[in-house]
Amino acid sequence: LPPAMEPIPAKPLFYDLALNFVELPDLTEKLEGGQPKQKGAGISGFVKGLWGWGKK
Amino acid sequence: MSEKAERDKKAIATFYAELNRFGQNGEYERAIKTSNKILNLAPQEFLAFHYKVVCLIELGKFDEAIRLLNGNAQFDEQLVFERAYCLYRANKHEEALKTIEKIENLDLRSKELRAQILYRLEKYDDAATLYREIVKNTDDDYEDERHTNLSAVMVYLEDEDTKDRIE
Repeated sequence: LPPAMEPIPAKPLFYDLALNFVELPDLTEKLEGGQPKQKGAGISGFVKGLWGWGKK
Repeated sequence: MSEKAERDKKAIATFYAELNRFGQNGEYERAIKTSNKILNLAPQEFLAFHYKVVCLIELGKFDEAIRLLNGNAQFDEQLVFERAYCLYRANKHEEALKTIEKIENLDLRSKELRAQILYRLEKYDDAATLYREIVKNTDDDYEDERHTNLSAVMVYLEDEDTKDRIE
C-alpha cells in the first residue's frame, strides 16, 4: 500500500530581483553621438596637418 | 596608424553601432555574434565583452558565461556582480556568496543578489536582516516583490522557531 498522503507546507513565492539589475552596458561613447570630443581632435589634427604640410 | 589598424577601427565602430541596435531590440544571439567580431579584432574591448556576458545571461546560458569569465581574468574585477549572478543561477550558491563578498561596499544590486544567495543557502537570519536593510533604503518599482521575498524568508524563520520549541 502506498503511504498515506500528508499535507506539506507550500513553497513560498520568491522573486529573482537581481536579474533586473543585470543590464547591458551603455555604448554611447562608442557611437556617433558620443563623438563631439573627437571632432575637436579632428580640427586640431587638421591644424597640425597644416604645420606638417608647411614643413614638407 | 597602419592601414590595417585604421580599417579595424572603422570596422569596430560599425560593429558597435550594430551591437547597440541588437541589444536594444533584445536580439541577444545576434548581439553575441557581433561582440565576437569586435573581440576577434580587439580582444581588450571591455564593452564588447561586458555586452556578451549580459547577453549570455539574458539567454539563460549561465555555464557558458562562467566559462567565458574564467577565460578572461583581465576583466574579472569589473564583472564581479555578473559572475556572482551566473554562479547563483547555476546553483553554485557557496561560490556565488564567496564571489559577492569580494565586493567592498556592496551597492544595492549586490545586496539584493546577496540576500537571494543567503536564501538559497538557507541562511534565513542573515537574509532577513539584509532584506530589512534593503527595504528601508530603497525606493524603486520592486517594493512589492521585495516584501514577498522577505515574507518567504520569514516563513522559514518561523519554521525554525517552531522546531526550536518542539525540541
